[in-house]
Amino acid sequence: MKKIAGRVLWALVSLVAAYCLAAIAINRGEPVNSFWIVLAAACTYALGFRFYAKFIAAKVMALDDKRATPAERLRDGHDYEPTNKWILFGHHFAAIAGPGPLVGPTLAAQFGYLPSVYWIIIGAVLGGAVQDFVILFCSMRRDGKTLGQMAREEIGKVGGFTALLTVLFIMIILLAVVALVVVNALRGSPWGTFTIAATMPIALFMGVYLRYWRPGKVLECSLVGFILVMASIFGGQAVADSPTLAPWFTLSATSLAVATIIYGFLASVMPVWLFLAPRDYLSTFVKLGVVAMLALGILFVHPTLQLPAFTRFVDGTGPIFAGKVFPFVFITIACGAVSGFHALISSGTTPKMIAREWNAWPVGYGSMLLEGFVAIMALIAACSLQPGVFFAVNSPPGVVGASPAAAVSTISNWGYPVTVADMNSLASEAGEQTLFYRTGGAPSLALGMARIFSVAGRSTTGGGRTFLGFWYHFAIMFEALFILTIIAAGTRVGRFMLQDLLGHAYPALKRNNWMPGVFATSGVVVLAWGYFLYQGVRDPLGGINSLWPLFGIANQLLAAIALCVGTTIFIKMHRARYMWITAVPLLWLVCVTFTAGYEKIFSDQPRVGFLSEASHLQSAIDAGTMAAGQIGAARGQIFNDRLDAGVCGMFLLMVTLILVDSVRVWWRILSGTRKAQVDESPFVLSRLQTEEL
Amino acid sequence: MKAFLRGDMMLLREIADESAYDRHLRTNRRVHSGAEWRRFLDERLARKFAQGKCC
Repeated sequence: MKKIAGRVLWALVSLVAAYCLAAIAINRGEPVNSFWIVLAAACTYALGFRFYAKFIAAKVMALDDKRATPAERLRDGHDYEPTNKWILFGHHFAAIAGPGPLVGPTLAAQFGYLPSVYWIIIGAVLGGAVQDFVILFCSMRRDGKTLGQMAREEIGKVGGFTALLTVLFIMIILLAVVALVVVNALRGSPWGTFTIAATMPIALFMGVYLRYWRPGKVLECSLVGFILVMASIFGGQAVADSPTLAPWFTLSATSLAVATIIYGFLASVMPVWLFLAPRDYLSTFVKLGVVAMLALGILFVHPTLQLPAFTRFVDGTGPIFAGKVFPFVFITIACGAVSGFHALISSGTTPKMIAREWNAWPVGYGSMLLEGFVAIMALIAACSLQPGVFFAVNSPPGVVGASPAAAVSTISNWGYPVTVADMNSLASEAGEQTLFYRTGGAPSLALGMARIFSVAGRSTTGGGRTFLGFWYHFAIMFEALFILTIIAAGTRVGRFMLQDLLGHAYPALKRNNWMPGVFATSGVVVLAWGYFLYQGVRDPLGGINSLWPLFGIANQLLAAIALCVGTTIFIKMHRARYMWITAVPLLWLVCVTFTAGYEKIFSDQPRVGFLSEASHLQSAIDAGTMAAGQIGAARGQIFNDRLDAGVCGMFLLMVTLILVDSVRVWWRILSGTRKAQVDESPFVLSRLQTEEL
Repeated sequence: MKAFLRGDMMLLREIADESAYDRHLRTNRRVHSGAEWRRFLDERLARKFAQGKCC
């Protein structure tokens, strides 16, 4: 009876999923309520988790709870520790959820909501969650080895070394692009800039508090930090209203970029306990809290989507970034659908904390589905804005015109009406001087979130829209807080990698207590991502147009490396008939990223192709049609375009090397010329008691 | 509800490294002190921030 009830229930879930997906796809002309999208995602994710992931766990991986995990066998109370599956689920989710699933869908909304909704739902179930789950499984069966170690051992030395280099370069692009998002969000915003500036002394205070005043009281310290950060949001409003203080915190994009570069350097050389650690604790708690609030807000408000299913920009002429819906929607939304960076987390701390093998199912697969949900929520928040407002906030002056009047005229002519008065009124409500040209995704996401929070707040407390300014800056604070933590941690890790690499030539560099080495390597890493940030800030097309696709391509290529490792291990496990599970998403990612990479390098449209833009500018200089004052900037842009083309080409080349190396290994095993040998840790019977968890 | 809140608290303590500190004290048979916390934290953070944060 119970079995029949279960079957009926899952049949109903399947019908609801199919109906919602069809309803979203077929509907034209009428606004769609976000509830349909939430329901479609929830039901599809539930089906993917219950059937597809369970099939992979049982038939392909053959997970076995009798087998002791590294957490049990190598238990040391530090890294290796059997942990309750739901605690580990939350821990892993907190580690994989970054700005990507929030910003990517917001930017991709320029194509309309439909391509993004389908990619986030299907990509997560068949690609992203599979990658995270498979890599977690592989690492768990290999005592918690990293992706780089597994690539070296399973594919070969070339693959391993290339994976290491790819990670370093991806990190540099990642740091530049997320820094650009923050810079664009804070440009000309005294309220936001003060709030974020105030988080620096707050973090230092927390560091001293935690180390000397109340050692070990991390939660208490984070609560104090949170109260201070909330106070700084109110302080920011007072600063913005003050004619004396406001100019001090009204900074240009270039000044903010320099400040971010200095911040990254200081965070990398300062003791980690003093600044980075307290900031990291606080930003993780705020992130989890805001994600939960946004979920509740969307369920409560269930806003109607204002953007259409498809916009006219599917043809590649989008103002936020240029390029057709295929392949660009698939690289713009990486985190939230498929993210290679997750493979680094799935082969980092998490496999060392899995208590039982079957816990990898909810932790590895389930966490990624939850991240997909975060991406859906971000998309809903962005698409709930009026299309005219959305494009006015996200379009750079180089595309829509350098004055507000020109911008609204261009955007209205596209068929998305908006007026300067509308924008000024919204900016005034949000406590900003202007909301035009706020590219990068963060401000429009913050506006969407603020609208949902303020409507929910008004319904529950009877308050008015006056809260929009507070919620807007709360959302900006939330995004900037954890993005700046990523920059601090990433610069530090880049420094370690560089110290390790250069230490072979000059051994003193490997020492973390040799300050000249620490300063020099931190400086190199900061200058590397700082250069790309500076180029983004100076780019007349807004920077996002060139840097976000580069980041998306890099991230998806890392996913391709992870899926190569997964496929190789499946073949070695004599599961070749199931290799399609990882090989199909791998093939898709290779098609998408190589198409996008080729277009970014060689497209003959100057807004899409780096080389085409460089030759277009060069022709204008040679023909003498460019104003004398613009020639210097154009030469800089030409250099940047060629550099970006080189970086993109290098990513494609490195992944081609790994792919060729992998296919060579697969071919030799499948043709019988090489023995399939699995490098798993030996089976040890688990003695873990349930009460220990 | 009580179990849910207890689970949430355990998650927050795990993220905050407070549970790891308790395990450290238990495993090494030590008692809490400022110096012990600093020793634990330095080791813990060195490992934790050897890895980048996810995008």
